[in-house]
Amino acid sequence: MTQKKKPFFVGYLGIPKALKGFLLKASLLIFAGFATGGVLAGVSQDDPGEAGFRFDFGRQTVSGVIQAEPYPILHVTKGNERIKTGRTIMLTGQGKSGVSGNKALSEETVVDATGIILKRGDLDMLQLAGGKRGIKITEAKDELPESQYLGKWRLQGEICDGKCLVGAMQPGRGLAHKACAILCLFGDIPPVFVSTQPIEGSEFMLVGGPDGGPLPESTYDYIGQFVEVEAELERRGDMLVMLVDPATLKAVK
Amino acid sequence: MNIAEIIFLLIKSWTLIGALVALVFLTVGIDRIDEDAQGAYAFRPLLIPACLLIWPLIIWRWFVLETGRDQWPKRHKPPRESHFWVAIAFAVAIPVIMLLGFSQKQEWPADFKPQKISSEQEQSQ
Repeated sequence: MTQKKKPFFVGYLGIPKALKGFLLKASLLIFAGFATGGVLAGVSQDDPGEAGFRFDFGRQTVSGVIQAEPYPILHVTKGNERIKTGRTIMLTGQGKSGVSGNKALSEETVVDATGIILKRGDLDMLQLAGGKRGIKITEAKDELPESQYLGKWRLQGEICDGKCLVGAMQPGRGLAHKACAILCLFGDIPPVFVSTQPIEGSEFMLVGGPDGGPLPESTYDYIGQFVEVEAELERRGDMLVMLVDPATLKAVK
Repeated sequence: MNIAEIIFLLIKSWTLIGALVALVFLTVGIDRIDEDAQGAYAFRPLLIPACLLIWPLIIWRWFVLETGRDQWPKRHKPPRESHFWVAIAFAVAIPVIMLLGFSQKQEWPADFKPQKISSEQEQSQ
């Protein structure tokens, strides 16, 4: 029998001498390759920044008046140490559910809202406690703060879902987060536009449709991408609201 | 019809055909090509998910076995011979795909300055 003896690796036996060098080199190469790949993938991502649930604040209760369109927001009329009177905050339910479906949250209704704050910079959102604890609707009605029209603008930036953006997910924006963001919007979570540069002191804007209602579903293909859009801008309380013109929405190269 | 709807329609059509193949293969075909399966029924529902996904392969293997074209000793030879080149191809393709992905990544338009295209007065007029 003249067959040349070749070293053969068997996992549960000792390593053949002739294969030791190869095994060592291959192991080092694979380890270095994965480590390099991991570092490259990591550094290519944008820093998600400081944002998140503020469980450390504990459950917060504030009173305020509801502005229902395009998505329910709360103008705080009786605040506390964490949420000052005069602030305007977005509202959300648990998980991927907004509060637009709650028909009791009509325009100018005065409510007591209880929940956990999510925060990114000057953007606040209150995730309401579950069941009847989250919102107590009073009989009272109150006037909304006067809105200020700021003109029509051409903007570039990204339409995100407001909840993930303010820290429910890290990162809560970008292409990798697109599917999650669209699901959130289907659940009536308020969308927020992140502008490349601040307008009137704010880089975040609550987004609505051209008729003042919710963002049309036809725009959802552009969620999570960098886009250019024309929109009417208003200040409502201390929050900017942009009513986008879907026909002008296009992806930035 | 948008891209998501097209993808969903393709998946639905694929699995629907798979369901038909599963119905015919698991009730008729499997008895004809595998004598060990004759009279055994409990395991057949377990094969339904695979039928839904790889029904073209099932039809091909059924055809090969049914027509007596199978050369079972040679069945695993071609894949073994191609392992080396497949490994090389993957080692090249994976970094190329990643690099292509990164090259197509949008850049945040940080320099874009918001432009006002109508004034507050225009609305009030």
